[in-house]
Order: sequence, then structure tokens, then C-alpha cells
Amino acid sequence: MASHAKIALKFARQLFSMSIVDGAVSADRVAGVLEYVEKHGTANPVMVLKAYQRLIATELAKGHAIVEHAGAVNDAMLAAIAASMTKKYGRAVTATAKPNAELIAGLRVHIGDDVYESSVAGQLAALASSV
Amino acid sequence: MSTVLEQIEQQIAKLSSKTVKKNTGNIRAVADGVAKIDGLSDVMYNEMVQFPGGAIGIALNLEEDEVGCVILGDIALLKEGDEVTTTGKLLSVPVGKALLGRTVDALGNPVDGKGPIGSTETYPVEKIAPGIIVRKSVSQPLFTGIMAIDSMIPIGRGQRELIIGDRGTGKTTITIDTIINQAKINKVGLASGDKGFRPVYSIYVAIGQKNSNIVRTISALEKAGALEFTIIVAAPAADNPANQYIAPYSGAAMGEWFMDNGMDALIVYDDLSKHAVAYRQISLILKRPSGREAYPGDVFYLHSRLLERAARLDGKGSLTALPIIETLAGDVSAYIPTNVISITDGQIFLETDLFNQGIRPAVSVGLSVSRVGSSAQIKATKQVGGKLKGELAQFRELAAFAQFGSDLDAKTKAQLERGGRIVELFKQPAFSPLPIELQVTVLFAMQKGFFEPIDIKKVVEAASSLKSFFTTRKDDLLTEIRTKAALDKDLEAKLQAACEEWKASYAA
Repeated sequence: MASHAKIALKFARQLFSMSIVDGAVSADRVAGVLEYVEKHGTANPVMVLKAYQRLIATELAKGHAIVEHAGAVNDAMLAAIAASMTKKYGRAVTATAKPNAELIAGLRVHIGDDVYESSVAGQLAALASSV
Repeated sequence: MSTVLEQIEQQIAKLSSKTVKKNTGNIRAVADGVAKIDGLSDVMYNEMVQFPGGAIGIALNLEEDEVGCVILGDIALLKEGDEVTTTGKLLSVPVGKALLGRTVDALGNPVDGKGPIGSTETYPVEKIAPGIIVRKSVSQPLFTGIMAIDSMIPIGRGQRELIIGDRGTGKTTITIDTIINQAKINKVGLASGDKGFRPVYSIYVAIGQKNSNIVRTISALEKAGALEFTIIVAAPAADNPANQYIAPYSGAAMGEWFMDNGMDALIVYDDLSKHAVAYRQISLILKRPSGREAYPGDVFYLHSRLLERAARLDGKGSLTALPIIETLAGDVSAYIPTNVISITDGQIFLETDLFNQGIRPAVSVGLSVSRVGSSAQIKATKQVGGKLKGELAQFRELAAFAQFGSDLDAKTKAQLERGGRIVELFKQPAFSPLPIELQVTVLFAMQKGFFEPIDIKKVVEAASSLKSFFTTRKDDLLTEIRTKAALDKDLEAKLQAACEEWKASYAA
């Protein structure tokens, strides 16, 4: 079972590397990969496609900032965040807003594995842990 | 009241200008104390990670698209999808004198119900061992209080001496005796007001042991008045393997604090066989490739990096390590025993046969060795016990041959008798370590033939009488031996006279 998982992961990585064009995920290539898998089949297709999906999702998350906010966020602010992240990570980053009342006030930006916390809820949590 | 509010406002103002960056991941799978995590792309090897609910983990497997972490703490509340955060810190434990007399878990949290520990300093659990330049050769003795060890297999401050043997051969007892002896020496030394006296603080790390055994050990130490100089680090069998894996490193960190601050410490790892088993379990769950006896490839490094942290530092203190290894059917050629034998500076081998014959401590003189040798002995012990190991080895050889024939020449018979008496003299009950000055006295009496007229079966009784004679009536002489640490002509004459006095009183 373990070796099947390893083989599936290895194959998924190969498919993933084929889906990248100029350092970004290409929608055409992804469609091509899915078409190939559907036509030709593969051993453990569910395992392969799940691993492939995880790799693509991780890669896409690196180029997309989710801005959680409590209070108003306008397009100019989102554009400024996207520009700042693009500069910081050296890749094209887009930003979308996601309201979250639990933050009380402020922002929390998710991009890939990184989280930039600038909310009152986050600061109170930090305060609570430091007491 | 307004001051408190102002303080809170200031704190909020300070925090409100900060944007904190965190690196996060999500639990993909959690089982048997190990979590597989997606994300955590910035995590470092051995970094502490924060799980929800207060549990912490250590990143041990850094793979291309997942991280394997061992979890320290309660794993019952963790589930797939939970967010995990890096901390940027290495796992640290509290250190310092505030820990003395306390029982703590692998993370340094008190488990003895005596309240919080007032320690202000922490040390990282994993630390690179001291290098070559800062080390000093081992030359100061660390008395175990066990005559067979102190006279034939001496241990020095900063040494690593393995205690190896089958189950139930008295391995733990030797280490407890040693801890009790340090406490006794500390009390005498501190009471004497000698400014040059260096007390030895002890750390006992219990790995994978039954809770009842740990309680018994604590009681023995408490009864002997040794707990006040001892820290107990407990990772019992009921703890998860991650805690058992971390516990000896935590203990080493606590010992290093004493060493770094110019003090001497002794650490007992009881035992490293169970430690290796806990690490094997973690490694197998992390799907690391397994090798001999299913142990992972880095099991040697597991113990070498731990034991290398014991040292005597130039201008600072020392950390002496007494690791314990349990063998199966006396097999010292198994994987873990051979590894630890090669890492340490000698071993004390305990034999089941000797133990069952009533020879306790059941030290096998032929297989036991201290690579530091006589440089870790005081001159007085060298003078009275320098040739003992050879004599005893010769006795064992002769005794084996003597079984085949009854006609023995007088010289062989005398050698056998003498050997038999030495064996009897080395018998010592548990938890009653002998001060070095009394050891010297008993060995002196033996070398001068005071036990020769006594029947072998009564040697133990005679030795006990000699000890109580010196303790009650010749205390000044014992103090002189302790302070001089060598037998000059004058002291030898006094000892001879005192032994004659005892002989007369014992015969009567």
C-alpha cells in the first residue's frame, strides 16, 4: 500500500511539473493532463489525481492572497496588498477579500503557507499567550 | 486601577502597530503521537511547532511536500485539517537549582504536585556537544560508594560509564547508590565549610519505566536524604514515545546548566534500551527506512550526540553520564549494547549468575572496564587497591581450574582463599554506599592480612564490625584519610595500630 502511494505521488509530481509554464500553473496544461489521464488511464487514478490536486492547490495558493477582514476593505487596498505581495514573493499575486467578523478589527492575509496577522483578535491571542 | 488600564492600553498600542508573520500548515494525518502536516514550508529541523489546544510538536521529517512531527502532549483533541504554526524556536526546558528535589516530565513541567517551579532560565533540549578545545581530561574522581567499582573500575567527573546487564541484576541500584553517595559527600563537604569543595548534583532520567518503579526510586532517594540534590525527569511507560525520546535530552540540558555554571553534575539515563525502542517506534511511524533490528539508520547518532554532551570543561564544571543498557540473556553483542559500549568510556557489566550466587553488586570484573583508569582515583585507593583487579581475575581463573581437581598446592589454596575473601569483602547491600575513607580502611585491612585468620563465611560480618569500629571510635583517622587522600608512613602506622586494636576486640 505504501509503495502504491509513493508511486502515485511520484507520478503526480511528474504531472505537476508538466503543468507549470513560466513558473505558474497553466490552465491549458492542467486540462491536457486531465484529458491524458482520462484517455490513457493510470494505476490508482484516484490516488494520483488527489495528490496532483494537492500539488496544484498548494502552487495556486502561492499566487493568491486571501485577505480576511473585519470592517471595510476597498479595491484600492486589495490592489495595494497584491502589489506588495507580488514584490515580496517575486511572482504575480492576486488578492481577494473574505469578511471575517471574528477578527474584531484589522486584516489577516493568507498566501501559501504564510499568514500575516494584523488583527485585534490575533493581537489579543498573542497577549493572552504572553501573560 | 487607572495604572493597570494604562498598562493595557500601552500594550495594545504596542501590538497594534505590529504585523506578525506566521508560517502555517494543516494536519493531514495524526496517529500514534506523530502528525503528518501539509504546508509549514519554512519549518526548520527540530523546530517546535504549535498545535491547537496547547500541544506542541517537533519537526523531525522534512519532506518535499509534507512535514512529519512528533507531538508532545495531549493528542486526543487533534484532528485532520487543524492549523499548525511554526514558532521559530527550538524546544527548551527550565534549568537551574530550582529544579533540585523536583520531579518533572520530559518538558520540564512539574509532576510531583509540589507547585510551580521557580526557574527563570531555559536551555534548548538539543545542543551540540562541547568541542575538543574546551574539554579537559578526566582526572577528578566521582565516588560511587560501591567498593568493587571505586577500587577496580573508577569513575571520573566528566566520564561516560555504561552500566549493562540483564533485567534484575541491580543496574538501577548501582546508580541510586551513586546518587545517594553524592548527597552524603555533599552534606559532609558543605558542612565542613571548605571553599574548594565542589558538590555533585544528580539528574535521574527514567525512560519507559513503570510508574511504580519511579515512585520506589524517589522514595529511596527521599529516605536517604538525597532528593534535595537530585532532579528526576520522568517519561514513564505510559507516556507517548515522543516524550520518552525527548526525556534524556531534557535531562542533559538540565545537567549542562550545572556544568556551564562551574558546578559538577551526574546524570543517569535509565535506560537507553527503552529510549532506542521509543525512537524506533517514532521512526517506523514516520516511515523512515529501517535497518538492523528495525532500528533506523541514525540510532547510533541518537545516543552518541546525547552521551557526547557529558564532559569536563576547562575552567567550568563537569557532567558525568551513567547510561544503563538492558541486555537479553547476557548478549552484549546486540545492536544497541555494542553501539553504546563503543560510545562510552567503559562499562560495568553485571552478571545474572553472580547475582543469583548472592554476590551483590554482581559486577563482572573481567568484562568491566573504565577507560579513564586510575587517573580518576585518589592515591590512597591506588595504594591499597591497585592490584585488586588482577588478583581477582587470577582468582576466577584458578577457581575455574580448581573445579577439576582436589589436590592443590599450598600456594594455589592460599590464592583461592584470598580471592574468596576479596569477593566476600566486595559484597554490599543496596542503598548503603560506603565513604571512600572506609573503603580504604577495609582494603588496607585486607591487604595487611587482617581477614586471613577469619573463616570465609564470616568475612562479611568481620568487615561490618571493622567499619562500625572505625566509624564509632576512629572518626579522626577517617577524617585524616579523607582530607589527605593518600597514605603516608605516619597514617599507615596509625591505620595498622587501629586495625590491631579492632582485631583484638573482634577476637574477644
